[in-house]
This record gives sequence, C-alpha cells and structure tokens, in this order.
Amino acid sequence: MKKPTVVLGLGNPLMADEGIGVHLIERLARSAERWPDVDFVDAGTGGMTVLHLIEGRRRALFIDCAFMGQEPGAIRRFTPDEVRSTKVLAHQSLHEADLLRILALAEELGQCPERVVIFGIEPQVVEPRQGLSAVLLEQTEHYLSEIRSELTC
Amino acid sequence: MAKTVNVNVHHVTRIEGHGNIVVNATDGQIEKVEWQVPEAPRFFEAMVRGRSYEDIQTIVSRICGICSITHSLASTKAVENALGIEVSEQTDKVRILMHYSEQLQSHVLHVGYLVSPDLFGLPSVVPLAAKAPDVVKAVIRLHRLANEWSDLIAGRTTHPVTLKPGGMTKFPTEKQLRELLERLKNCVGDLTAVAEAVLSVAGNIPDFTRETEYVSLQQDNPPTYTFYHGDITSTDYDGTIPVNDWKTVANEYVSDQSTAKWTKWHRSSYTVGALARFNNNGQLLSPMAKDVAQTFGLEMGCCNPFMNNVAQLVEAVHVVETSIQMIDELLTKGIKDEKVKVSPKAGKASGCVEAPRGILFHEYEFDRKGHCVGADICIPTNQNHAAIQDDFEKFVPEIIDEAEDAIRLKMEMLVRSYDPCVSCSTHMLDVQFVK
Repeated sequence: MKKPTVVLGLGNPLMADEGIGVHLIERLARSAERWPDVDFVDAGTGGMTVLHLIEGRRRALFIDCAFMGQEPGAIRRFTPDEVRSTKVLAHQSLHEADLLRILALAEELGQCPERVVIFGIEPQVVEPRQGLSAVLLEQTEHYLSEIRSELTC
Repeated sequence: MAKTVNVNVHHVTRIEGHGNIVVNATDGQIEKVEWQVPEAPRFFEAMVRGRSYEDIQTIVSRICGICSITHSLASTKAVENALGIEVSEQTDKVRILMHYSEQLQSHVLHVGYLVSPDLFGLPSVVPLAAKAPDVVKAVIRLHRLANEWSDLIAGRTTHPVTLKPGGMTKFPTEKQLRELLERLKNCVGDLTAVAEAVLSVAGNIPDFTRETEYVSLQQDNPPTYTFYHGDITSTDYDGTIPVNDWKTVANEYVSDQSTAKWTKWHRSSYTVGALARFNNNGQLLSPMAKDVAQTFGLEMGCCNPFMNNVAQLVEAVHVVETSIQMIDELLTKGIKDEKVKVSPKAGKASGCVEAPRGILFHEYEFDRKGHCVGADICIPTNQNHAAIQDDFEKFVPEIIDEAEDAIRLKMEMLVRSYDPCVSCSTHMLDVQFVK
C-alpha cells in the first residue's frame, strides 16, 4: 500500500549542485521514522518514472535544482501552476525530461496527486563533479527545515 | 519547384547536448545537409582508470539513465572476460531476464511517448493523452511493469545493484518469479492494444528507403534472437567477428560536425538497433512477435529507418514472450544460492550486449591487482551518427519541395526513429514565475 505522501529528490550527484535534491532526500530519509505516512524517494534523473512514483498519492513534494533567476542557494516553494517551463526540449530522445510536462501528463490522465509542491533550489554551479557548492551546503539545515514545515501542513 | 529552404533545429541547451539539424537550400539547390552532434564529452573511460574491477559496473552504469542495465551488463561481461571468470547458468538466465526488462522499458517508452505523437500528428504525449487516453494508459502500465521487473531483478529501476563480477548479490525468490510470470502473461493485452494503436496510424510512417549495412550480435549456439550472447555480424558480412575484435567493425573516426566519434565498416556508414537485430536475426523471433511484424508488413531486408520503431514494438512482444518461457525454466530447476569467489589478475577483454538502441562495446584492461589501467567504450548512438547523416543526404532531396515545417518535422522524426542516446546527465527545472 502506497503511503499518501511522497517526497521525491531529483538530480544527479555527479553534476555538482544538480545533486541537491538527492543530497536532501538522503538527509530526510535518515529520520523517516518520524513521518510514517511519507515515502522519501531518491528519484535521480528518472524522467518518466516520476509518473509511477506519484500515482495513487494524495500529495507529492519535489526537491530539485532549478534555474529561477534567484541568488545561488535560494530556495523557493511553488506549485506547478505558478510557473512555466522555459526548458528547450529537442524531443529527440528519452534522455531528456521536464518535470512540469510530466506533471501535465499525469494531470491529463487523472493520475496526479491533489497537492503538488515543488521546492526549487538555485544552483551556483552545474558541471561534471561530485559535491555541492559551499553556498548550498551551508544552507542544508535551512532547506530541511523548510521541507519539514511543509510536511507538517 | 525551385525554392529556398533554411531548416536549423538547434538545441544547444545549457548542459545537455543534442543533435542539430541543418538544411540550407537556395533556388532548389541543396547547399548543406548536416546532422551535427555537439554533445560535451563525459570522460567515463578516464573515470574508471585506477578503480577496482569490482567498481567498474557501478560507475559506468551512470553513462545512461535509460540503458543503465545494458551498460552494467556489458561492463560486467568485459570484466569477467578479462579476469577469466565464468558464471553459472542460473546467473546467466537471471541477467538476461534483467536485460529484457530494460528492453521493454525503453522500447515502450520510446514508441509510446516519442514516436506515437508524431504518427498521430500531435506535438507531444500530453495532447495524445487527451486524444487516446486508453493507449497512453496502456503504455504507462507497460512501463510500470518493466520498471518493477527491473526493481525485482536488478535491485532498483535504474543503476542495478545486484550485479557483481562472477554472479549476483541477490536472486529473486521463486514466489517473486511466479508473481512476475503472472504479470507478464497479463500484459499481453496492453502490448496488443499499443501495437493496434500504432498500426492504425502506420500509414503516416514515411515511405523512405536507403540500402545500408545493419550490424548486430548473432548467436548460433543455440540459435537465438540475441540481445546478450554471440558474436558480431552484419547484413554485408557472411559469418561473425569475435566480440574482442569489435574495433575492426567499428573503425571509429572523427567527424568535423560532431564531438562524438563516428563509425563505418563495409560502407560509409552502418546502422545498429532494433531494425538491425531484426534484419540479422528476424527468423528467430518468438511466434507472437513474428505475428506483429507480419501485421505491419515488416520483413527482413527492410531498409526504411522509420521502421526501426515497428521493430522495437516487435521486440517488446518478443522479450515478454521469451521471458515467460525463461521464468518457467528457472522455476522448474528452482532458484539456488550461489557462492562466488573471484580473484583479481591481469587481463584485457571486451564485453558486448545489445542496448535497446543497438550494439554496445565495453573494453577494459586490468593490472594483476585488478585495477583498471585502460578502458574503451563504443555506444550504439555513435555508431548511428554516420547513418543519420547518410539518410539526411538521401532523404532531403526527396522532400525538398515540401513546406519548410514539413521538412523539419520529417527530419526530426528520422532522428527520433533511431532512438538516439544523448546525455541524460541533468533533468533540472528551468522555470519562469508567472506574474
């Protein structure tokens, strides 16, 4: 039986700050016993697999690196209807994905949770290397506290 | 009709590299037709140097989020070949079962999410979900089944954790295999529904033919429609080439219009993928897969690259039907525990499997402590770049009189038909707040 809430950390830890979602989900999962109704999932760069992870849930929270035009390290909470994607997709392969389009598909099929919240974190650097920038790493506790407050809502 | 055409599909996004399509024609004279690949190199061959033979699979799995099982299997086979390790029949079967889950996963996603919208005349899968929700739901159910199948055998959906040189860290239980067997038997209805939906719009598959060479694995003992064992063959070559000699097949070279290496064997280019496998081994397909091929009029010797997607559908049926039989065989013998002990030693060898999008080569060399001192990987999409260029050069003159938008769409469809593997290193959000 699926738990009613799922928190998905998205990203690739081999691409510096792009791995922030995975970093935070690992931290959240350590105290998973405090949240018996919540699944914490490292969804990596799974693309369409997100569809299966959110289906049948009441609430889905996403944590992802996001270019939002903010200061590096800034965290913003938003819902899909508050933003529009500016991502250019080539539609050439399965190797690209856009979370907002995946959510639109889930909505179209009636498989989208009632509540969807995205936490976007502005990166300082996205390039092939392991480890987060100091500006993001130093704010880890702040990010966790924002996400945990959302979970108590 | 003399006309001027400028098609420039340019997709240099911030991080991910994609192919660019360029066509320039003035007064009906084609000046430039190019398939450009500006993808940034990712240096995996350098990353594995100095690492233990036990770590290779975990690292190279990250080359791709769609075919991570395939990269894991190719590298594990190469490591085992280099270190002289043999695996049990049970391990071999379970690995093939793992590999099939990825073929189904990748093929249904590609045909369902990327190719079908083209055939239905829609810009993406989102409007297709509104127009044909039952078909999209069938695709999603099949994708979910394939994901859960990977979870069971590989330990998770992507980036397997159950593979190790010499064997597996964990086998599925007989109960789990029985459950999977039932689910596979029950998914035939969804497979048929997707095939029928694609068949209903098959008239929109462009009628284009270019004779070329098709390269894939071939397994003679026992004769098998293979994704995993065997040696290298092609439609231009009578016989097979051992996997360790793959460089005499790929003949990699550098092209000015690409950051990826290109390949050629007997002609200026060759093609790999589902259609290549079908053209070399089609007579060995499972009965139901043969029926699907026949329904679409797909026959061995087909040289229409767009039919690669039909071959993918055929293979989706084949892997399900074959897996049902393999699980039966595993259950008949019963799943047994295996103790594996591997000792490092110096060696060099290759491993080869068929990725959903074509033949894949991994080669590694190890010192006596089992540390990697050299690596060479040749992915299927690189082997298709020259073929895409050759297709463009024949296809564009045939459609140059069509409207510019139609030319652009058909060229994009041609690229998509190859199911190319471009970088999936990031999927971050890129958003603007709506005021």
